[in-house]
Amino acid sequence: MNGVSVDINHLKKGEVNLGTSIMAVTFKDGVILGADSRTTTGAYIANRVTDKLTQVYDKIWCCRSGSAADTQAITDIVRSYLTYQVGSDNFERPASVNVAASIFQELCYNNKDNLTAGIICAGYDEEKQQGEVYSIPIGGSIHKQDFAIAGSGSGFIYGYCNENFRKNMTRDETVNFIRKSLGQAIKWDGSSGGVIRMIVLTKAGIERLIFYPEETYLVPKEFEIPQAA
Amino acid sequence: MVAQPVQKVFPLTLKITNLPSSNSSRPWRIPVRIDCYLSHIKMAGLSFDNFQRNQYIASKGVAMPKATSTGTTIVGCKFNGGVVIAADTRATAGPIVADKNCEKLHKLSPKIWCAGAGTAADTEMVTQLIGSNLELHSLYTNREPRVIASLTLLKQHLFKYQGHIGAYLIVAGVDPTGAHLFSIHAHGSTDVGPYQTLGSGSLAAMSVMETQWKENMTKEECIKLCADAIEAGIWNDLGSGSNVDVCVMEVGKDAQLLRNYITPNIREQKAKSYKFKKGTTAILRESIYNLVDVEETEIPVPMEVDA
Amino acid sequence: MSDPSSINGGAAVAMVGKDCVAIACDLRLGNQSLGVANNFEKIFNYDHTFLALTGLASDVTTLSEVFRLKTNLYKMREERSIEPETFANLVSSTLYQKRFGPYFIGPLVAGINSLTGKPFVCGFDLIGCIDYAKDFVVSGTATDQLYGMCESLYEPGLGPDDLFETISQAFLSAVDRDALSGWGAVVYVITKDKVTKRLLKTRQD
Repeated sequence: MNGVSVDINHLKKGEVNLGTSIMAVTFKDGVILGADSRTTTGAYIANRVTDKLTQVYDKIWCCRSGSAADTQAITDIVRSYLTYQVGSDNFERPASVNVAASIFQELCYNNKDNLTAGIICAGYDEEKQQGEVYSIPIGGSIHKQDFAIAGSGSGFIYGYCNENFRKNMTRDETVNFIRKSLGQAIKWDGSSGGVIRMIVLTKAGIERLIFYPEETYLVPKEFEIPQAA
Repeated sequence: MVAQPVQKVFPLTLKITNLPSSNSSRPWRIPVRIDCYLSHIKMAGLSFDNFQRNQYIASKGVAMPKATSTGTTIVGCKFNGGVVIAADTRATAGPIVADKNCEKLHKLSPKIWCAGAGTAADTEMVTQLIGSNLELHSLYTNREPRVIASLTLLKQHLFKYQGHIGAYLIVAGVDPTGAHLFSIHAHGSTDVGPYQTLGSGSLAAMSVMETQWKENMTKEECIKLCADAIEAGIWNDLGSGSNVDVCVMEVGKDAQLLRNYITPNIREQKAKSYKFKKGTTAILRESIYNLVDVEETEIPVPMEVDA
Repeated sequence: MSDPSSINGGAAVAMVGKDCVAIACDLRLGNQSLGVANNFEKIFNYDHTFLALTGLASDVTTLSEVFRLKTNLYKMREERSIEPETFANLVSSTLYQKRFGPYFIGPLVAGINSLTGKPFVCGFDLIGCIDYAKDFVVSGTATDQLYGMCESLYEPGLGPDDLFETISQAFLSAVDRDALSGWGAVVYVITKDKVTKRLLKTRQD
């Protein structure tokens, strides 16, 4: 590593990898985070029901990609920081998505030589009454976006997402958008797989969704069973 | 002017703490704190003294000696009202079986146990360290230790060492919040799930888990499943072998360790003896030492008094 | 230069018998194929606890002194000699302290617990993992040969005299097939109240 060309694919030998497909999308009422559930060590699937959507504050969550150990350590730090410092009762306002994402960014940038972590931080901002998505890729930069995709599987769905994303979609439209996007990412990326997990963050609260491969996202169109009304 | 005599300072200061009281059972004992002046004893934690020397030796293209690794099969599984962990009992050093009946189930606290794979010394030492910190924490807070607390202590310690401490663990136990099961990798990542397998035989064990596991098992079904998974490792993985150890942790009960729950590899009794006749081995010299000190004590005999 | 733990050569073994234990080592100190000394004993005793150290000779000497210091301090503080089981844990933590820059040694501990009278042997890897064995433990450059000999010759419940013959024959046969070990051997047979040290007649090539 010489500072100019950074090997982003390096992982410590034998390290547990989240070869991942993750995304977060803002919509009319807030934001939805989505992720596959595969964790790998080399060619072996160490966990097929992983939860890569992690809570760091009430309605601020993140999607993790890269090294499992690194991203868990980072989110643990951010969670404790938001719970006991910024978001505690000593402060006038609860922690905002912007602040949470900035802490992620600070950690990822300051320790960039020792970390392999690509994080999407998303949440529902109670003050602004809207969903926000921040992408923090390897290297520690930060990008505020309407929607963000990351992980090894994201490379396959840049085109699809760009064509099909619309601002201010409904909840169901957004869920479908994520399901179809991640379904394709999982299909083409060998190190993504398992179920699709989602977290819906709105003013109303937090909702968890799960989609299984055989009955939802991997069924070819012509065999799709019509949903009962 | 009178020259002041130079005060000689003895390099090793002896501090005499509390002097013995006259009615002490050991009146001749003077407690002397010497140890705090000796770096060997005082140093806490790991020492990196030999690191540079060994790096130099390694740079000469020398193979480093192998540490004992528990090329292992370990599993854990939850059941209705508790959790079970199990392990095989083979320890290896390269292709050599170093220990045919080692213990891979470690106690973190009375009701939290941990199965270890990877570098044998690391799993043992990291378990002892976190076990001790957990006991101190439970004494301080006056509460039973929790599985999630031991998981956090372990993962933060392992993450700090960036995978150089080669401990792969399955942590399980019961606490006031219920029964829990986790796995930890050497780099500090953790996984949650109703069943876990780790070690070189984890693939064999996982095949059993993925086919036989079902929801809401009884304790007996769960023990059987774990033992079967370990046996799959014993027979199909070269790094695993010998016996099956099991530990059952049930909510509201003491944990029970079933050491050598299954012993499918007992060596057949030798049909004949290889005993040698006395004097087979030629000796050049023999010396004998006594290990008992002979102590003479005079016991005062009380004078007889005539009535 | 080869593996640090096989530069100087040497081998050791310890066995459990009925109310006794035996521990043996060779006497060779070499520099690769060159023999340097034939009086390099690798067994040290700290009162009734015995320690065999094989591996890099400089580390053997260093560690034997470290343990002399530590057992002496233990004796001053506790006003009793260290027991084999306690000493095993002392060896373990001392070696693990150097986890990331280990001593290149393979220690064995043997002795009889003076309180319970129970025979005890155990072995270690170079970073302090204890191998509790109920029968025998081996160490050094003739490890493979010793495992083979002990697995076939050993039987449980041998008395001091029988144990001496078994450990000696197992050790001699193993060491004769190792170029880096040999040049004499000593065997200690330890009972509750007595230690017998015997110098064996061995090949000198």
